Amino acid sequence: MKAHKNVKIDIGDGAAIPHHKDRGLFNAWWISLIGAVTIIFCLIILKPDPYLDILKFLPDGVVVTFQVTILSILGALVLGLFTGLGRISRIRPINLLASTYVEVVRGIPLLVQLFYIYFALGQLFRELPETNAVFIFLKNMPPLVAAVTAMSICYGAYMGEVFRAGIESIDKGQTEAARSLGFNRSQTMRFVVLPQAWRTILPPVGNEFIALLKDSSLVSILAVADLLRRGREFASVSFDYFEAYTMVALVYLLITLILSKGVSIMESRLNYYVQD
Amino acid sequence: MSKTESIIDIQNVSKFFGQLRALDDVSLQIGAGQKYVIIGPSGSGKSTLLRSINRLEDIDQGRILVDGKDIMDPKNNINRIRMELGMVFQNFNLFPHKTVLDNLTMAPIKLKGLSKKDAEKIGMELLHKVGIQDKADVYPTMLSGGQQQRVAIARALAMNPKIMLFDEPTSALDPEMIGEVLDVMVALAKEGMTMVVVTHEMGFAREVADQIVFMDHGKILEQGTPGHFFESPEHPRLRQFLEQIL
Repeated sequence: MKAHKNVKIDIGDGAAIPHHKDRGLFNAWWISLIGAVTIIFCLIILKPDPYLDILKFLPDGVVVTFQVTILSILGALVLGLFTGLGRISRIRPINLLASTYVEVVRGIPLLVQLFYIYFALGQLFRELPETNAVFIFLKNMPPLVAAVTAMSICYGAYMGEVFRAGIESIDKGQTEAARSLGFNRSQTMRFVVLPQAWRTILPPVGNEFIALLKDSSLVSILAVADLLRRGREFASVSFDYFEAYTMVALVYLLITLILSKGVSIMESRLNYYVQD
Repeated sequence: MSKTESIIDIQNVSKFFGQLRALDDVSLQIGAGQKYVIIGPSGSGKSTLLRSINRLEDIDQGRILVDGKDIMDPKNNINRIRMELGMVFQNFNLFPHKTVLDNLTMAPIKLKGLSKKDAEKIGMELLHKVGIQDKADVYPTMLSGGQQQRVAIARALAMNPKIMLFDEPTSALDPEMIGEVLDVMVALAKEGMTMVVVTHEMGFAREVADQIVFMDHGKILEQGTPGHFFESPEHPRLRQFLEQIL
């Protein structure tokens, strides 16, 4: 029975996922994790000034980084679902619209997209009359909103490809069985294809989440007080650039290492579940 | 038989796959309660013909009426027509993310508005009928091929269709499991279900079929009762085919 093709979708540039057969203490993941934790400990014990101060200064930024990442991934999931469905749609204009969106977004660097939405569109929005709530909101667009919007749009395109690949990985026989029972196209998608595609989609979504978390450091440019921005703020006051950015890098590393382990555990669980 | 009596009326149907003529001016009338078995070498168009009846394949020429309704007419809701046409596939195509019982109840609940309780009652009765009531709560991948195919038959029956279409239902099964599936199909035939079966199981054809249809290169070359078919086949291609498989 080939209802499930065990397809792995390798799209995007998520954190390196340790191979699940790569067990034992001496793999890259453990070395990195133990290394990062050890260095952080040594630094705050041997040189609490400024390292401990930096470490106390950063958590607010970690919260903002997660805020931006989670909001953006939610936006990207919604956009990605519709884009993926659009990409496999038989209706030509919808198909073209979705494909063009993917093509355009993938062709513009995320940093440029961030600048464009916050600074370029921001300038246009400032010309708006203050006649209704939407205009007033746009006129004073908070940087966080601009950041989440840009990241959602950008990652929505990548996520669209993940959804498309996930949907296409489901055996055609599943659709035929559902259609022959009398389900229409959208019911077939909702009740039969998507619930199964979700299992194929989850690991790459996890990878996209990690990639997005790292890319979210770009939003520090819009004065969003994320992890990187907090490090920069500390450094600009104390002039401890080396110490501040060392800590920032270590904290990012720690977060992505833990998340990537989570994704690989999830991946092996799902693979186990899907076994024929 | 006159056309008004037939529940499936296939009129001069042709279907092309690119240059290939998969169906070539095929006509066939099937009356309510009749059992038709379609045989033929692979690539003969027999599966395409079966899949055309519930429009899993769109035909290019001709007409197919199911219960008097033209299936290609956009005014007729194909999803409604399909509810009257149960289909069983070679590869079972059970929904792997649903339990056996949920496979049976999903369509009646979502499409016919049955309550979960009623649908499960019907579902359990059908599982009894195909002999796997004790597997109601397991997932399909835990079942043998023969069990999966029996669930697939029960799933199709759960919509209470007027007609059952079988597309090589035993071809993907290990030999020792073919019997259990054919038993279910024979029992179904005895209840008076209209059945169209594409198969290589000649024993089943001989026992159950009212009419056997032999197809080759997209055409119906011969049609007749099992007696006629096995005792005095006329077409040389049919004789050759029967020699090969019997």
